This record gives sequence, C-alpha cells and structure tokens, in this order.
Amino acid sequence: MMRHAITPISPKVSQYGVDPSLVKTRAADLPGMTSVYLKELFPDLPDVIFPGENGIEKVKEAAYKALMKVNMSMIKPEHSVNILASHHGFTLLGGWPYAELLKTIKDVIEKRTGCRDIRLRAGVGMRFRETEEYIKRYGLDKYFNGKAVGVAPVDEGIPIKTEIGTLYGLKRVYDADWIVHTHHSDVREVHFHRQVDKALKPFGMSYARIETRSTYHQNLGPRGANFVARALFDSDFVQKKFAFAAFLDVAPNGIVGVDVDNDLYRLNDKVTLIGCKQYGKIMTLFGEIDKCIAVLDFPCPVPYVFSGGVIYANFAGANTDLYDLNKPMPPYTWYTEAFYGKNGKPLLDSIPPINPAIKMCIHNYAWTGYPSAFFAQHIPTLVVGNEQAELFNRDPLNLNYMNYAALVKDLETAMNFAYTAAETKNVIVFDGAMGALNVSEPLAKLLLEKAPGVSRRVDKELLPKWLRQRGVDVSVLKK
Amino acid sequence: MKKVTLLPRVNNDRCKACHTCEKVCPVLAIKVKQRKAVVDADRCRGCANCEQRCPFNAITMTKRDKAFEVGVDVKSVDYKDIIDLCVKAHLHPEQTICYCVGVRAEEVAAAILKGAKTPEEISLETGIRTGCTIECIQPILRLLDAAGYKLEPVEGGWQWYGKTATAWDLSKEVKEKYSSRGFYFEEDRKVLDKIIDGCKKGEDK
Repeated sequence: MMRHAITPISPKVSQYGVDPSLVKTRAADLPGMTSVYLKELFPDLPDVIFPGENGIEKVKEAAYKALMKVNMSMIKPEHSVNILASHHGFTLLGGWPYAELLKTIKDVIEKRTGCRDIRLRAGVGMRFRETEEYIKRYGLDKYFNGKAVGVAPVDEGIPIKTEIGTLYGLKRVYDADWIVHTHHSDVREVHFHRQVDKALKPFGMSYARIETRSTYHQNLGPRGANFVARALFDSDFVQKKFAFAAFLDVAPNGIVGVDVDNDLYRLNDKVTLIGCKQYGKIMTLFGEIDKCIAVLDFPCPVPYVFSGGVIYANFAGANTDLYDLNKPMPPYTWYTEAFYGKNGKPLLDSIPPINPAIKMCIHNYAWTGYPSAFFAQHIPTLVVGNEQAELFNRDPLNLNYMNYAALVKDLETAMNFAYTAAETKNVIVFDGAMGALNVSEPLAKLLLEKAPGVSRRVDKELLPKWLRQRGVDVSVLKK
Repeated sequence: MKKVTLLPRVNNDRCKACHTCEKVCPVLAIKVKQRKAVVDADRCRGCANCEQRCPFNAITMTKRDKAFEVGVDVKSVDYKDIIDLCVKAHLHPEQTICYCVGVRAEEVAAAILKGAKTPEEISLETGIRTGCTIECIQPILRLLDAAGYKLEPVEGGWQWYGKTATAWDLSKEVKEKYSSRGFYFEEDRKVLDKIIDGCKKGEDK
C-alpha cells in the first residue's frame, strides 16, 4: 500500500490562467496516485530548510546570516539600489522563499549601509504583467514603500557596449547607482541555457530588451546562446553597478540555504555543480521512463509546470542527455522548433524527436503567455474545460494551440481516455508538489527501481563529463 | 499568416495620454490624438502590447466581430529570390522565426521582396512579431539588412533599437577565450550552416 499523494501547489489568481475555482479536480487526488519523495530516490540529495518545520522563518534566517557577511561597503547612504528579481523565483515552492529573500535583502542593506532609496525591479518572461501580480501577492509593493515595479522586455531600453558589440538592457533595471542580482540555483530551462552560465542568465533575459533576447534565441546557436548574459554582465556598464548577488540555494527537494557573494562567477560554479549533480539525476531518471501520461497541473505556462524540480519542457527532452554539450539540438528548444520544415519534419536528420515516452498529455491546469503549440503538435494533448481552451484561443501567443489539442469536459474523462489510448498506467503529474513527485503507483515502482542505477551512472560517468564540458574543476566533487 | 481576432478597447476615463502604447506597438496602430489613445482597427494585429504595458490599465483586449487573416503568399515571388535573400541572412527559408504566429523566414523574405522596408511593415503584412513581440526581431532585421535596407528605428519609439551579433560575426578571440567554458560557438555555427546548406543544395525533404 503506497502513501497518498501530497498536496500540490494551489492554482493562483492570474490574468494568464483560468480562475482557480474552475480547477475542479487536481490530478494528485485521483485514485491510484501516490508520492515518491525525492530523498527516497536519491538519498544523497541535501537536507533542506524549506519546506520544513519552521517554514519561511528558516529562509529569512539563512538570508540574514549570508547577507551580513557580504561586502556592501560600496553602497553609501545617499546612493540608490535596484534589487533585481525575475519571475522564475516566484514559481519556486509557492513563491514565498524568493519573496522573503527579496525583503531580507532590503532590510539588511538598510541596516548595514543606511541607504534608504532601495527599489525592486522584477523582470518577466513573456507575460508582461506577471511580476506585477507577484509584487501584489507577496506584499512587495508595501514592503518597498511603493518602489516595486515589474519591467518588461518592450519597455524603454539602453544600449550597452559588450565584447560582442552593442546589446540592449532595460533602462529601469539599471537606473540606480547599484544593482543586486537576486536569483536561485533551480535549473528550469536546461534546453535553453544548457547549464552554461545559468547564474548569469537574467542579464540576457529578464533584465534585457527584446533585441538581446532575440540574439539569444535566434542568432548565436543552441550552445552559444547564453553568452549574451556573460557579455552583458562583463560589460563596463554593468560591472560598475554590480554590488553583489543573492541566491536561493535550491535543490529539486527544496531550499537548502542562501548564498550571497560579490563574485558572481564563484556562485556560478556552484550553480553549475548543483544543476548537473542534483537536477541531473532526476532528469536522467526521467529518461528511464519508457511510456507514460503526463498531467500538467501547475500555475505556469505549459513548458514551465514542475515535477521534482524539473519542468515539462525538459521532460519533453528527457529522451536525450540535455547536459551533454556534444549534442547540439535538444528535442525541444527554440532552435529545434525553428528547424521543423513545412512538411512537419526536421530540416536536419540529427534533430531528435520529442520524448516518445510521453504517449499523451493531459492539460488540466496551465497558463497561457508562452508559445506552446509545438507541444500540442508533437504530443497528443487533451485540454480540460472549455474556459481554459477559450483562454488559449484569446492568447496572442497561442492562437494555434487548440488547433492541435482536443477539448475534454473534465479531468476524470480525460484520464479514462488516456489510459485506454496510451495503453499505460504510468502517470506523472507536473503539479509542483514540494519535495516529492506525484505519480501513479506503477510509475512510482519503476522510478524507485531505476533510481540507484541512475545515481551511480551520473556520479561516475556523466557528471565528470558534464563538468569538464563546462570548464568546472572536477576536483570540486571531492570537496 | 496570422488570424487577427483581437482588438484593443481604450477606456478614455483612464487614459492619461502617456504615449506608452504608441511606443510599444509593433505595427504603429495606436496613437494619442487629442490626449487620448486611438486604435486604428485596420492596422492592429492584436498583439496586446498596449494592453499589457499601459501603466493605467486603460486598455482591454476584446474579440473582434469579424476576424481576418493577414499573410504574404510566397508563391507571389520567385522562390529563388526568397532562397537567395534568406541564405544571405543565414536563415533557411522554411525556418520558423516567429514561434507564436508560426511565420517562416520565406514569408518575411517574400514581404521584403514585395516592398516591405521596415519591421513594422513586415509585421503588418505577415503578422510576425504580434504574438510575444520579443523573439523574432533579430531575424527580421537580418533579412532587411541582407536586402540592403538601412535599419532606422521608429523615432521616439521603443519598438526596436538595432541589429546585434550573430554566430557568423563573433571574433576568433571571443571564440577561443570562452570555448573552455561551455560555449560551443564554432560547432553551433557549423550546425546552423549545415541546415542552410540543405536548402542551397536542394536537399530538403
């Protein structure tokens, strides 16, 4: 007898998703669903401070301790400071840990420097009001005395001279004497950044203008893309403003701690190690699933719903090793999507297919605001509820999504159809359950059986290769 | 090709004539006149940038009574000219360059060959850059540049600022300096060239 599935992250009120009251059934509540704790799969995962008994207080305490040690002497009382945030952070473990880190940074800067002009600038992906929603939800507007704003890539820009020519940042991101880069070690989009300079990514993305983001996704190639982030961060303009970086140390099973450093590249090496070692094991394990039904059930756009710290977009590429830089094209990334010809086939034979193990996708609850038609084109997809389908039909980024997906009235009907059509009882739910995977019992058994072998293979064979490819000293593994 | 289904509606009581909507519209379809934003329904391609960036929440997107389609027929120009222009811009003609609307490089090339001279004219005719309005600006600028057009941003606007580096522009020094840190610049360029070579040699499926 396996345990009941743990409670997933709740639906959120947002202009990008249906009203939470319309999410009638969560997949975790269906018969036959259970939870596998990530520590059961990989006992070497670190202990976490959140989720935990003392809740968010532990995060606050860790942030405070780390912030008291970093050099802030460059910030004078008469200066201004922009604390920079990105939408991703608010999608982690309910969003409260990231919000608490932002608040604590403000408090400690005030306390240690006497500076009072401290603002929050929160960047976005493609949902231009997403961080405005978070600022209100987590009370950041009041906490920052009205000096908290969301910034979007179409807002006024500024040219920044870099090693590869002029790139463009957002004016409001840099309109202070100092900037504090607030981020995390969660891997999220391995298909895009390939775990290369992941700690720097927002400089080329949520802090950047459309020209820069398009350079990333259209001009440089699938393994060179994130260089725009390094080019911007290393520019004289950004270096003169950079004070320090504060990171949530996130593992697939929760928040491990808080790291604060004046040297972003030192943090970057740690983030690379965490991304490869801890998340690499879950991703490699996902590659062992031979067939399954994937259920999307989380307040994020289709590719960004989470399970065990891994997003659906990466599960769609789990049939390959996304960390292996010798493989240029993941099954899903925008460079891959670009290179499907008019006949629906890849323009290059070496482009791998979307993970064939995903026999069907049930879209129970996921947001608009990210071009997602590619997923429905390549994976049989059932969307639950007319309201959700209509929301996609009105989304300028997804006018074609429902051309490829079928509409089903409720989750139970969708699952019954999927069990028959997909001929499998393996179900994985992308619902952000903290510290665990919500899956069906047969899939739980499969994962528990495969995990020890995966762990050994990652430690002995894959991890040393991944780190070598990224220029990270492999001796860090011994420390 | 895009089906245009949405149209912004301005709440005049809320509009403060701040001009933000004008500055973010990729097709120049909204203008402040007599201190209120006014939408040109024929030009609007329904991207919702005005609604998403209005600081006063004065704009809502509504469903049009009559949807319409925009697009450029690639058969209306010599396909060899499309290939030549795309290859010059280091793009495969069948390459999708707008992930939201699904516009391919060939359609943008056709629009340029038929007389479109700016990103705004291209968006108006093909519907490209009217989804997320972010990711496809560089291929558009690359194609216009390859066609010999001088790239001049909209005066006072935030629509776009300029063309940036590509995999084909990176210096040897940059490539060598960062190759040991996981940036596979040269290898990526070869992959991209191989895809484009396919269309030059007629190897496409």
